[in-house]
Amino acid sequence: MSETTTYDIAIIGGGIMGCATALRVAEGGMSAIVLDQGDLGQGASGVNAGTLSLQIKRVKLMPYALKGHHLWEQMGEAVGFAKTGGYTLAFNAREAQMLQERQTLKAQAGAPISFVSNVQLSAAEPNLTQKVEAASFCPEDGYANSSLTGQYYRGRLRDAHIPYREGCKVTAIERTTGFALTTPDGTIHAKRILLAAGAWLKPLAALLDVDLPVNARVNTVSVTERMAPLMGSVIGHATGLLTMKQKANGTVLIGGGWQGLGTPQNGRGTVDAQTVRPNLALAQYAVPALAQARVTRSWTGFEANVPDFYPLAGALPGVADADVLGCVRGGYTIGPYIAQLMGDYILGREPELPLFNPGRDFEKDIT
Amino acid sequence: MPDHYDIAVVGAGPAGGNATLAAAQSGARVILIDEQPKAGGQVWRSKSASILSSPATPEGVAGDTLRASLADGSITHLPNTRVWDIRRQDDVWSLQVLQDETATQITARALILATGAREYVQPVRGWTTPGVIGLAGATALFKQSLTLPGNKTVVSGTGPLVFYVASEIRRLGGTVAAVVTPNTRADWARAMPAMIGQPKLMARGAIWITDLMLAKVPILWGHAISEVSGADRVTGVQTHRLRDNTLGPSYSADSLCLGHGLIPNIEAAQMLGVAIRHDPTLGGWVADADPDGATTVKDLYLCGDGCGIRGAAAAGLQGILAGTRAANDIAGKPTTASTRKWMRAARFGKAMTALSIPKPKLEALTTNDTILCRCESMTCSDISAEIDRGATSTTSVKSGQRAGMGPCGGKYCQTAIAALIAQQTGKPLADVPPPAPRPPLRPVPLGQVAGDFDYDDLPIPKPAPL
Amino acid sequence: MIRLVPNHAALIERSKQVSFTFDGTPVTGHAGESLAAALLRAGHLKLRDAPNDAAPRGAFCCMGLCQECAVVINGQVVEACRTDVSAELAVGRV
Repeated sequence: MSETTTYDIAIIGGGIMGCATALRVAEGGMSAIVLDQGDLGQGASGVNAGTLSLQIKRVKLMPYALKGHHLWEQMGEAVGFAKTGGYTLAFNAREAQMLQERQTLKAQAGAPISFVSNVQLSAAEPNLTQKVEAASFCPEDGYANSSLTGQYYRGRLRDAHIPYREGCKVTAIERTTGFALTTPDGTIHAKRILLAAGAWLKPLAALLDVDLPVNARVNTVSVTERMAPLMGSVIGHATGLLTMKQKANGTVLIGGGWQGLGTPQNGRGTVDAQTVRPNLALAQYAVPALAQARVTRSWTGFEANVPDFYPLAGALPGVADADVLGCVRGGYTIGPYIAQLMGDYILGREPELPLFNPGRDFEKDIT
Repeated sequence: MPDHYDIAVVGAGPAGGNATLAAAQSGARVILIDEQPKAGGQVWRSKSASILSSPATPEGVAGDTLRASLADGSITHLPNTRVWDIRRQDDVWSLQVLQDETATQITARALILATGAREYVQPVRGWTTPGVIGLAGATALFKQSLTLPGNKTVVSGTGPLVFYVASEIRRLGGTVAAVVTPNTRADWARAMPAMIGQPKLMARGAIWITDLMLAKVPILWGHAISEVSGADRVTGVQTHRLRDNTLGPSYSADSLCLGHGLIPNIEAAQMLGVAIRHDPTLGGWVADADPDGATTVKDLYLCGDGCGIRGAAAAGLQGILAGTRAANDIAGKPTTASTRKWMRAARFGKAMTALSIPKPKLEALTTNDTILCRCESMTCSDISAEIDRGATSTTSVKSGQRAGMGPCGGKYCQTAIAALIAQQTGKPLADVPPPAPRPPLRPVPLGQVAGDFDYDDLPIPKPAPL
Repeated sequence: MIRLVPNHAALIERSKQVSFTFDGTPVTGHAGESLAAALLRAGHLKLRDAPNDAAPRGAFCCMGLCQECAVVINGQVVEACRTDVSAELAVGRV
């Protein structure tokens, strides 16, 4: 069944990037449709650990992260937002030095990060191990409930009368005066397209013979059953190997980028018990009371990146009227904001902050 | 301890136990892994150590025979062992287990999953009240502990289990307030041709029912429980006549055994890539396997109720087929075993399953305020609202409302949630599969999984881009 | 009254009774029996409060799956239906 409508823009990928861009362009008067191969928000947007921490953002992306945090706060309860404050821990001299250097630079970039003494840390988080060498703190840090992403954007798209198709994989893209997208639901016509498919950007761009150097890390997250209150802030680690947070319902989410197995082309990825083990052991090291927490689920999610670990945000190289948005380092935090910038760019307006040319040389340091 | 076993069998019930024996007999080095302290699974569950002596039962005798066979010989049996993750790694299966409370890894060239079944209970108002246990749950309680669920018990559900449980309550000295079954006498008459092939079982069933009648226990055919009353524990039940949708009698009781058929435990198979399909005659979502247990996944075999509810007799026979097949595949020998006996036994099992399948009118008793997801106390209307907001798959319902994210992993709610999605969206049930299972296959204490940890052993990753 | 199914209650011999505690209250059970069964027999059906609505919950599936019979022993949440009774066992509520 072919559609006769020609949309101003078809957005391929219904995570935060795709949906938030759709909302922005629709506000500006464009007709948009969002297509996702599965349910909305079931990629990285929906399965990550939900950490909203300025302490783990890249220095050059800090202005974007600050704006992103603000937007998450506005989304509020609908996405399970909580501003808890966050601590990053160092357990030995090497980590302490790393912490000192990196957090200082991030603070200089605009994040309200300070260093705290062990006494302050113990008072704030009495269940943490005493073996902390150094710690930094940011009052803006917190988390949201990533599993609500799909439901949240589904509601927002509906409220804005933006059509979306789930279970609708784009299998071919033909150039017409605009584009004709082949899907199981028929052909979708649009004047322009936005590729926002996250970890699936490489095969998607390949449909247009564009080679995007997108890699996907396979990050592991675990969650426990409900526990008595063990921590009130989000906890991080100087090396990034541990993130922990306890949700309002008492469950504890444990992450840290430990790698599972699999690729986006081959399904959802699988947990690797060999990496879950040290991840959980590190969590227990930081909060010994976790030893008796029962883990009820572990899962993986794909985190897309390009070689220089800066976003793809701009025109798709070599294809007129096609743009790409994704691979943002810290995409969960930054997503809602960079999508607004992207939407403004698509509407022909000057984005408030610079975007990131997808056609750049990824070997060079970004200016 | 050998480096790799030839075959690892998960589940020591009739299927897994017999698979183990058959594989060992064919010369394979087999390890049998099970959660319980003794082999037997659910249907041949062993008595706990607290039972010093008790009268023999057919299931007890069958279980004792299996346990004796397993004890005799070169089979490695790991009881009290919880499998929490399995994956394929370099040409072997790697199983992560907690043996008592110690984390271990078992590797084997081939894997036989004999994970059995759990039960389906159609949610009704008050079904979460303490004192309500499953029908299959009741049999576990009786077999392991010879303990009654209460002083005065209503027994309700579909299929033969309802009469078995009622008779066991009487055998253990308890009182059955009433037997309430959605099945009609006509349903049972339709099952008669298949039952004639199993005269001993037919005779047992006849004894159970006649005994209940002689004891003047009310047997309500074509009825279901619509509501359970009681706050901290059950105080009574309300029944419902399905034929004309009217109120039936109510009974005071301090306990209720309730169940509507069995569901295959397909989670491990599904997680390992075995295709699943929806077949109500086999208990709902089943994992695809040949009669001899072979699947499309190399070196992975399934047998017993874990791949389709065909009953205990069929489970044992399929176990033999799968154990033999797996051992032959390793030895490079062709398989010629006949599946005729298994098919005959399966026919009877399927007839019992047909009786046990919840009837459409039963689903109507799940009211808006009935809890569907027990772990998260989510009601039918909570989930209905989520479906209205566009969540049309079990995964998106789970993400939105946490229904299915609790400690039971969706085992007791996913079937009802899928039925609700199907009903509300018009999708056929076959288009509403359960969400992808994730490890751990059971809740596991973090400290036990983490094991001994030396901070210096932590890998030093490349620093994250600054 | 004619019984086709005999009453075997008197023919069951159980291990010695031992004393343990549930939520501080003394309970008697048979050594080595299922904790869930012992609590059931002693009339302790409500084992915990459900999340969100604080409704009473107790053992349901009796086979280690539903997690409704969760109790605490030595700070660890365990399934009562998969735990054995022993003398002096201190069982707490979740």
